[in-house]
Amino acid sequence: MNYLILGLTRGSMYALIALGYTLVYGVLQLINFAHSEVFMSGAFGSYAIVHLLVGDGKGTPSWAVPFVLVAGIVSGAVTAAAIAWMLERVAYRPLRKRGAPKLAFLISAIGASFFLSQLAGKLFGRLTSNAFPGFWDQNAVVFKPFGAEVRVLQVVIIASAVVMMIFLDRLVAVTKLGRSIRAISEDAPTAALMGIDIDKTISRTFVIGGLLGGAAGFLFGLNFSFGNTMGFIPGVKAFAAAVLGGIGNIRGAMIGGLLLGIVENLVPVVNIDTKWTDVVAFVVLVLVLMFRPTGILGERLGRAA
Amino acid sequence: MNRTSDTVNRLVMCLAGALVLALMWGPQEGSFDNFWFVINHSLFSARVLVFLALGVIVFLAMTFWPRVVPFLTRPGVWPLVAGTLTVIASQTLMHWADQVGDAKFGTVAKAAANTDGLSPLASAFFGGLCWALLVIVVLLLAAAIITGLRNFGWAAAALSLVAAVIAYISHAAVVDYVQKFGGGVDHSLGVYVCIVGYLVLMTAGLVVAMSDAQVADTRRTMNRVLGWRPGLPLVAIGAVLGIMAMATSTWFSPANYNATLADTRNLFRGTGLAPIAVQYLAWLGWALLAISLVLSGVASYRRIRPLGWAGAAVGWLGVLLTVLTLYRISDLGADLAVDAATGPWQNLGAGGWMACAALFLIGAGGYIAATAPRYSTPAVTATDSDAVATGRSASSSFLTAPGAVRSGIMIAVAVALFYPPTANGFWQSVLVSEIGIYVLLAVGLNVVVGWAGLLDLGFIAFYAIGSYTTAYLVGSLPVKPPSWLQMSPLLAIPFAVLICLLAGLALGAPTLRLRGDYLAIVTLGFGEIIRIVAVNADEVTNGSQGPSTQVPHPVIDLGPVSITWGLNQLQYWYLLLVFVLVVLLAFRRLEDSRIGRSWAAIREDEVAAQATGINTFRIKLLAFAIGASTSGVAGVFFASQIGFFTPDNFVLNNSILVVAYVVFGGMGSLPGAIAGAALLTWLPEFLKDQVPAADRQMWIGAAVLAMMIFRPGGLLPARRRAVELSGLQPRSTRLEPAAVPASEGI
Repeated sequence: MNYLILGLTRGSMYALIALGYTLVYGVLQLINFAHSEVFMSGAFGSYAIVHLLVGDGKGTPSWAVPFVLVAGIVSGAVTAAAIAWMLERVAYRPLRKRGAPKLAFLISAIGASFFLSQLAGKLFGRLTSNAFPGFWDQNAVVFKPFGAEVRVLQVVIIASAVVMMIFLDRLVAVTKLGRSIRAISEDAPTAALMGIDIDKTISRTFVIGGLLGGAAGFLFGLNFSFGNTMGFIPGVKAFAAAVLGGIGNIRGAMIGGLLLGIVENLVPVVNIDTKWTDVVAFVVLVLVLMFRPTGILGERLGRAA
Repeated sequence: MNRTSDTVNRLVMCLAGALVLALMWGPQEGSFDNFWFVINHSLFSARVLVFLALGVIVFLAMTFWPRVVPFLTRPGVWPLVAGTLTVIASQTLMHWADQVGDAKFGTVAKAAANTDGLSPLASAFFGGLCWALLVIVVLLLAAAIITGLRNFGWAAAALSLVAAVIAYISHAAVVDYVQKFGGGVDHSLGVYVCIVGYLVLMTAGLVVAMSDAQVADTRRTMNRVLGWRPGLPLVAIGAVLGIMAMATSTWFSPANYNATLADTRNLFRGTGLAPIAVQYLAWLGWALLAISLVLSGVASYRRIRPLGWAGAAVGWLGVLLTVLTLYRISDLGADLAVDAATGPWQNLGAGGWMACAALFLIGAGGYIAATAPRYSTPAVTATDSDAVATGRSASSSFLTAPGAVRSGIMIAVAVALFYPPTANGFWQSVLVSEIGIYVLLAVGLNVVVGWAGLLDLGFIAFYAIGSYTTAYLVGSLPVKPPSWLQMSPLLAIPFAVLICLLAGLALGAPTLRLRGDYLAIVTLGFGEIIRIVAVNADEVTNGSQGPSTQVPHPVIDLGPVSITWGLNQLQYWYLLLVFVLVVLLAFRRLEDSRIGRSWAAIREDEVAAQATGINTFRIKLLAFAIGASTSGVAGVFFASQIGFFTPDNFVLNNSILVVAYVVFGGMGSLPGAIAGAALLTWLPEFLKDQVPAADRQMWIGAAVLAMMIFRPGGLLPARRRAVELSGLQPRSTRLEPAAVPASEGI
């Protein structure tokens, strides 16, 4: 049971990152390889603000904790969104205008990813495990369903992830922007003919993905640690999660993320050494793809949402 | 969008770029207590103004670009730009004399200013003449281009040649001077790059002087210059190199000794050197050079084929004799213990190898003269006239001069054969264990990604499988093979290839039915699985330590022919060259074969390919298997060269990097894959001297990004791709949201 909670926590972070991949894939049919660095920048951005607010974290009054958390999420999200926006302007739009081959996008994203992670390292230090100031007792056990220990941080992570996912789901389903996004992922040229501003929509899609990824960056940093190379592994996992759920499909990414997180944390339960965690995760991925070649929920953004 | 906001956008972009550059040049990492340290120091210092000014300049250039463009299409502009940048780079970034401080040009110049007894020409050169020459040449060329006065072009060409000679002489003087005081062998490349730069500038001058029109025909004129007499450029380069080598360069240099060709002859007079070597040193070397020069030169000038063949024969025979002589003198030098000479192939200066390269190039010139088509048809195609109309040259019309491509290949071969022996130990090991191996891997992946259009992000896995297979077969893993199976590394090649082939099939068979991006993640997962297995299966692979005993170095033992590879990197380089050559020849045949065309068809449109009767699954599987077995070869080589390796050599990052090499170089083109891999593996080692080591990846990322933005087709795009990207469809009708062209089905 404990493992399930851990899995849900980890899975909701994967899901938040995976949404970024899936949204971009939906509108551009491209894997945004630099999304892991968007995620990383969220952690750094939120650190700057949280550090500013609470200093080294000692003596933070308990009433302030929720505000600090919200400030952290928001600042992480905004930083990452800014980075994602710039990424689209610099690494994607020029190539799009030139009708570059698809792999060129991939490579420019990889270049951007290297660049961003190393620039962050240059600016803020290359330690791989920085921690947020301990401004609250994040490991306090809140309640114990079925003998499992649920910690307050886990509640925060899962709750905020759920809120953001519901928000996103509604955004895509109901608003005008959401309609444009779906229209573009369905058929970009036709959407353009229908009067949708493609550039603007794509750019906003990146921003939304960045918001979610940045929030995930903050939560990830709180839960584990952060550093300039932190994005790579979660990025790959989240990408796998997005594919697992059916890339381009928003609900698929959520389910895929949660599923991957749970599977990873259930590995010790079924008596497999934890060193094989990644192998199990990828094997599950391959098996799912074998039987459902387009992921759990199929792949179109438009159809599912 | 209206004009003003466009302009504002551009200004903001330029300034933002300038700030980012300022950050990139800024000091190293702050700490977490002082989070904004670096940003403060790089953005709030006086230096930022320089970068902002740079940004404004770029902005102005971009804003007035339409007015600049007509000038850009004039003949000679691009060689002018390229040559100038090359010379500047060589005189700022590169090494000029290994023994002086950090060996960069500035340091050497400062040292030269502080020494007396340097020849006046050299002190003048290092004391500012170098920049004056460059400025004069550039001004002359600019004047020639703008006014169209041909004599200026001729003058600039002549002056560039003179400048190149002066640079060479000055460099030689400095190196001589340093060696007088006990410096060692000089491996620096700065002067050669500088000379190449001046030669490019000379080409610019020639192009200006020889072009009829003032508009948009740089490339046609270039082609005319290059194709005027096929083979002649090579002969000319060979002549210059050869005379330099035989007249001034070091041939034999044990400790504290620095012998030119003539000195070497005196040194070995009457020491029982093999007669042929004695004759070579005395007169045969010069004679071979002269004879082949005359034969090849006349052959290519008068286009007499038999003479060309004769030139090729004499030139290449000369290469053989030179190598033989080099072996003899180094061997005998060690026996006689001349100034602590250490053995065969050791203590040889650059001169001998330069002479080899020269003779090789002269021979190649003769060969090209003998085989080039006699009458070249002017290559004015639809794209050409289109290019003229739009003021822009289509990339497909470049290097269409007869023999031009082959000349390029010959130069590349000469460099590959004769540069490594003159490099220092560090660069030799970089050449072998970075550049060479990754070139081989990139060529293999090019089949999968470039030709068949399958995105494989786990390519390193096959390389790992090849390495581990080798380690198993030679008995270096905890699991021992049955004794009848234990073998030497080179014999393991077929087995490793077979295993990799099977692994490729095993991975491909279930997954190749998936579409592009699913394939990407599955291959990525496969790569990780292989690595994790290697780390964790202790009792099979010895875990994260890598093989438990050293993988032996390769050995060939066939009775009379017996070669043992040891620690000398050069041996591995030539072994690797053989591998690459074999793979390249095979793949060249494959590219245009039925299979190769099927790959192209699948890449462009899988459904249509299937409809034409191609068994797409089988063909894709074939691509996978061929790519995998190539990296198997690389794996064998790697394992036996390095001896000890760990699973860390096979991390995911490397897979991604290999994909980056292929796409950077130009997807689907063999020269592109080679160039991309070579450049991107060379760059980090080069940057080592230029920027803090920790920042290297940042600069590489930026370089890759910039490349993709400004040249999405890659360095040397495949011809088919080039047409897709720039040709055929007129720009104006392209749909605005062409995020992914419909034809790009990976």
